Amino acid sequence: MDTLKRLGRALLERARVLFELWKIVFYTAESVLFRFNLGRKATLDVLLKQVYFTAFEAIPIISWIALIIGLIIVTQALSILPRLGGEGLIGEILVWVLIRELGPVFASVIVIARSGTAMASELGLMKSSNEVSALEVMGIDPMHYLVAPRVLGAMISVFVLTFYFETISILGGYILAGFGKNIAFSVFVDSIMQAMGFIEVSVSLLKSLLFGLIIGTVSSYYGLRVKKSITEIPQATTKAVIGSLRLVFVTDAVITILFFI
Amino acid sequence: MGTLVDIRSVSCYTEAGRPLFEDATLTLSSGERALIIAPLASGKSVLIRMLAGLTTPDKGTVRVFGEEIAALTKEELNKLRQRIGFVFHDSVLISNLKVIENVALPLMYHRGSISFEEAMQEAARLIEGTGFRGDLWGLPGMLPLYAKKEIALARALILKPEIIVCENLWDGLTDTEKRSLSLLLLKYQESSPASLLVFTALNDADAALVKPGRVIRIDGSRITEEPRA
Repeated sequence: MDTLKRLGRALLERARVLFELWKIVFYTAESVLFRFNLGRKATLDVLLKQVYFTAFEAIPIISWIALIIGLIIVTQALSILPRLGGEGLIGEILVWVLIRELGPVFASVIVIARSGTAMASELGLMKSSNEVSALEVMGIDPMHYLVAPRVLGAMISVFVLTFYFETISILGGYILAGFGKNIAFSVFVDSIMQAMGFIEVSVSLLKSLLFGLIIGTVSSYYGLRVKKSITEIPQATTKAVIGSLRLVFVTDAVITILFFI
Repeated sequence: MGTLVDIRSVSCYTEAGRPLFEDATLTLSSGERALIIAPLASGKSVLIRMLAGLTTPDKGTVRVFGEEIAALTKEELNKLRQRIGFVFHDSVLISNLKVIENVALPLMYHRGSISFEEAMQEAARLIEGTGFRGDLWGLPGMLPLYAKKEIALARALILKPEIIVCENLWDGLTDTEKRSLSLLLLKYQESSPASLLVFTALNDADAALVKPGRVIRIDGSRITEEPRA
């Protein structure tokens, strides 16, 4: 009986968290679609800073991880494909692995590690030091000024970083394939372009937008759940990371099953 | 004189059930300068939070500008808040905004027609008026307490509020700083039709700095007013 009660309580808590996350998504959509002009200069400033910190400043780390991942995938593919008589499948492998899956997932994991943590701790600190209340008494809605631009900024950033990651990792793949195995760049590009269809690009785009939405929403939610003590901030940050990772991977699996089975 | 604040028969209790206020009534009319003296932990912050619409009383009504706070929608409440300038005891500034951006923020957010340059100019003018000597483009985290209070006051004044509410304005300041800050408040209040509501836990000598027209005391869970001189 106790186990059932505990299970019920845990399920209710999960449902409550999901409901709160939906509310943030709803507020963000409402702010972007219907309150676009309210405080436009101030909120645009928050949005631009978010994109700068999340996307622009992540370029060095994304670049070298993408290059290495591209190299690893091509190395593995080229070690197996000749044995199966499928050397020509290198383009398909890169598209299937990098564009369908790893591009959005790696970009998201890097954004969670760099910016999801920053977002949760920044909002947590603002909450515990009464800065959120200070905004409220100025007549500034924290959901509109603090949360909506951060969620939108995370979406834009993951979207941009996903395409950047995919481009650089394919280039990394070519560095090995081209120089190590004497494959001409035009042949390499042709093989990728043939494998890449509308569905691959669309799914990659959809995933990156949804993952950005998840990261911005979950990080903001846990950040704003901090009450009065700064000791809650590290806990909020950890929960933001775990929560974002969990939802990103579940969403990834759902989209992959929906589109590719 | 119109009534700007009308707190009527308000009762408020802590989570443990201890009464903060019981059947308390307080009014503030346009242009008045009122000082509320109350010991620490006597419910000053709760009263201010009620005026800001951040909390509602357990009983009674709080009306500001004739509007019952508890009945307002979020949008209406945000509009009403723009007409009140709050300076809290911890002078909370937004830590990731520069000093000048902190002051310009309400203007940038609420006045869509004003340009970035105009907002910054107005913020700089107000900050200059306080005598602030720090870096306008620095972050506020390391500012001394007095400078933080100057900036919080400039921010509270930027939307030209009709009521200025200050909480423990003089806490932690030297006598000279207390006098300077009080003079700033009085200067603004005398040059505008704004009403002033100053909450303090300090003694009467310090309280006299703002030359209050009314002195109100929170004593136990009751609000009592001293007879006017």
